[in-house]
Amino acid sequence: MEHLAYDIQSGDFGGAGAASRDLKQHLKRIGAESDAVRRAMIAAYEAEMNVVIHTAGGRLEATVSDGQLDVDVVDRGPGIRDVPQAMREGFSTASSEARALGFGAGMGLPNIERNSDRLRVTSAVGDGTRVSFSIILRPEAAEQGARPSSLGIAAELCRDCRHCLVACPTAAVRVRAAQPSVLDHLCIDCTCCIAACDPGALTLLDAPGKLAPGADGVLAVPPALLAGFGDHAVDTVLAELRGLGFAEVASVHPYEDELRRGVLDLAATSALPTPVISPVCPAVVSLIEVKFPSLVPHLAPLASPWEALQRDFGERDVTYVVSCPSQRTALLAQQPTAQRRTVTPRLVREAVLPRLAARRRAAAGTPAPQPQAAGADDLLVVTGVSHVLAVLEQIEDGRLTDVASVEPFICDDGCFGSPLLGEDAYVAAWRWAAAAGAAPGEGRSYERARPYRPRPGIRLDPDMAVAIRKLAELDVETKALPGKDCGVCGAPTCAALAEDIVMGRAVRALCPYVTPEEESAS
Amino acid sequence: MKLKDIAHELGLIELTPEVTAGDQDEIERGYASDLLSDVLAHAPQGGVLVTLQVHLNVIAVASHAELAAVIFAGDRRPDDDIRTKAIAEGIALFVSPADTFDIVGRLYAMGMKGTHA
Repeated sequence: MEHLAYDIQSGDFGGAGAASRDLKQHLKRIGAESDAVRRAMIAAYEAEMNVVIHTAGGRLEATVSDGQLDVDVVDRGPGIRDVPQAMREGFSTASSEARALGFGAGMGLPNIERNSDRLRVTSAVGDGTRVSFSIILRPEAAEQGARPSSLGIAAELCRDCRHCLVACPTAAVRVRAAQPSVLDHLCIDCTCCIAACDPGALTLLDAPGKLAPGADGVLAVPPALLAGFGDHAVDTVLAELRGLGFAEVASVHPYEDELRRGVLDLAATSALPTPVISPVCPAVVSLIEVKFPSLVPHLAPLASPWEALQRDFGERDVTYVVSCPSQRTALLAQQPTAQRRTVTPRLVREAVLPRLAARRRAAAGTPAPQPQAAGADDLLVVTGVSHVLAVLEQIEDGRLTDVASVEPFICDDGCFGSPLLGEDAYVAAWRWAAAAGAAPGEGRSYERARPYRPRPGIRLDPDMAVAIRKLAELDVETKALPGKDCGVCGAPTCAALAEDIVMGRAVRALCPYVTPEEESAS
Repeated sequence: MKLKDIAHELGLIELTPEVTAGDQDEIERGYASDLLSDVLAHAPQGGVLVTLQVHLNVIAVASHAELAAVIFAGDRRPDDDIRTKAIAEGIALFVSPADTFDIVGRLYAMGMKGTHA
């Protein structure tokens, strides 16, 4: 529960609006829906103006609790003789000074009534008036909240080494009782924990995990997969993939090329803030939405390569071989039925490897390697989570002014470096470059249907009243913990444990440094 | 249409180029009134207000009604503290020598509509 109080001076036309403005900032901070904030402000402002225009001064008190804003405005006279009459639009007793300023049109109380969910006016002539109104505060759109992550967890494989805790760039992983779990509202679907997990307890969610091509089946693949079968040439791999029963194998690389072109175009011609950030990697987009909301306007409003491919092929029977959780999540967000159609690279490898082995002899004579096309000067390619974080921070601080556009990938060495692919990133990238043109195809770039939006992953509760209370508790918990970030409790940092305690996901006793006396002192 | 296009088309005097320059939003609706409670009650979110009122409360009202811009009609010019306040609130201010009727007529001809049209 949060309580705010403001004094309002009689006749203070210049200072009027201060209370409602401050109230607005509070409502925004707890994530209230913007329409409710707007209505609350109009009602509060009218109530404030009434005190300024008609009375000897008063006080506005606001309470936010239980998903509702209650405002009480009490003044010191003169009181309203006939309340129903005052509620009628057009009736006014305002001074000529107030009227000259555009107030006193007899709309104040009716305006409050129109914008609030409940209004009560009580008045005694010669004594004063109390205007009480309430507005129901719903949290801002649910689509900004948690979405299911595409991380698969095989808890029985966990060895409790906790490497994943440190690896996660958004502190979304917890390991308790040798059971890894992930907080959906923070997870950006990158591959950091997967790469850190030796026993393979963390991997790409694989459901239902069958290769079942129909007659018109399309197999959509990342180029890294085509180049990821040892010294088997890319065209051989393509042929054997088709041999699995697919009418067509579509690589995503032409869409990557088109997106790059689109981003460079936007960087040169549009009014987007620079550097323009390419949405090539959905995990980086999520990272920006969760941790760098101020950079959302830098994102080129284009679909990711997989989303663009899905738009072109979505009507057909497509099986998507995604190389990371973020690609799967992006595909599902655009088309929920794609769930039945995403498979892991491993599944495809296992299906195609015996076929490749059978035609071992056909692999003779790979073409000479060609150097990879040099990147344009105005494009900065960044790969790997630590470098991506560093560059995003530079952009946020306004220190990266000489770069027109940035193409960030969360995995080391881009999609070729996904830990879910079988081949080393450098080997696969070299082989892909060497086989340039072996997998022809056309790509396109599309405007994104839904705009990129900040995701307040830090919101403590959908119920704002609870969120406010939890904020105070979080402060207490943070002070009670040692700040060593040792990870023994199963959370990556003391701050993460404090949040877990407040959110009911953990107890203080998990911390090895907290004494039994301190445990009970909460 | 964008604010700067409106300003150009109507020959408005820009008071807050700081705001106008950064504003890329499409403005589609507007409202004209000198009664500020009426503005609060009916002005369209993200719209433009044409008014004769040039005092500080106009900015407070525009901010609460979440308007993008205010056009002062009849060559009325606000004091500098009002300009400062508007910049802080991200509201663009313009002055036109034309009267309210003519300004609104030209906005309408450009394709802008009222709150409920």
